[in-house]
Amino acid sequence: MTIDLEKQLRDALRPAAPPEGFAERIAARIEAVRLRRRRLSPPFVWVPAALAASLVLGFVALHQWELRREQQQGLQARRELIEALRVTGEKLDLAYRGVSDASRPANPDDAGT
Amino acid sequence: MKVRPRIPVLVLASLALLPVARAADGQLTLPDFKELEGKASESVNITLDSSLIALATRFLDAGKPNDAAVRQAIGGVRGIYVRNFTFDTNFAYPKEEVDQVRKQLSLPDWQPLVHVHSQKDHNDVDIYVCIEQGKASGLAIIASEPRQFTIVNIVGSIDLQKLHALEGSFGIPKVSLEDKK
Repeated sequence: MTIDLEKQLRDALRPAAPPEGFAERIAARIEAVRLRRRRLSPPFVWVPAALAASLVLGFVALHQWELRREQQQGLQARRELIEALRVTGEKLDLAYRGVSDASRPANPDDAGT
Repeated sequence: MKVRPRIPVLVLASLALLPVARAADGQLTLPDFKELEGKASESVNITLDSSLIALATRFLDAGKPNDAAVRQAIGGVRGIYVRNFTFDTNFAYPKEEVDQVRKQLSLPDWQPLVHVHSQKDHNDVDIYVCIEQGKASGLAIIASEPRQFTIVNIVGSIDLQKLHALEGSFGIPKVSLEDKK
């Protein structure tokens, strides 16, 4: 009975040649997995970096835009200030001329007498 | 020409001597003058509150004499409001809107400083100063000319002597504050 069991085991575990092309198929599959991993990995690596770079660029652009806007508003305010002073000066001059004309003696000979 | 000066001829100069005002008011409520703006061939509408004046001041170059003079002239100013309309025909502006402003100037705080009426040139210029607790806190100018109507309201105190220093600069005309000889 022992001999039978041994024989049966030997028959079952007898070395057998792999089917034709087995090694090539294994190699091809390993290569395919490797390629797929390589294809998938770059985006995942660059996404945080790209996100961070976009944020930095966004902040810089926003800051520049705010600076430019503030400068435009400041220059506009400056122009308006100068214009306001010009109009004020013009009207004060009008008043002064009126007062000055009225206080001038009608007869120049009367002046200083 | 009829002139009714409340104070002697050099009133404009004396205004400059008034102390810097820190009172709260001195600001007029100006109508929007929409109708007037539509009829005017040119209009200037300037509203500068304290924050805009501060912003404008930042853009005045302290190294340039003219800019430095502007800085000094507006040192005590908290608001500048200018409405200026030019028309192609004479007396095109309605008196009602002007009266709305004049009514505000009849309040006790506002003191008439100068009234100039030129019959020859058909000009009327009124200058009022707002006095609060003995200090000037506002200036108002209403100028009616045949083809131009102007309201200027300066809140705070403006040093007219320093404004005088700006004459000839930025298109500001020469305002003679001293009696000509």
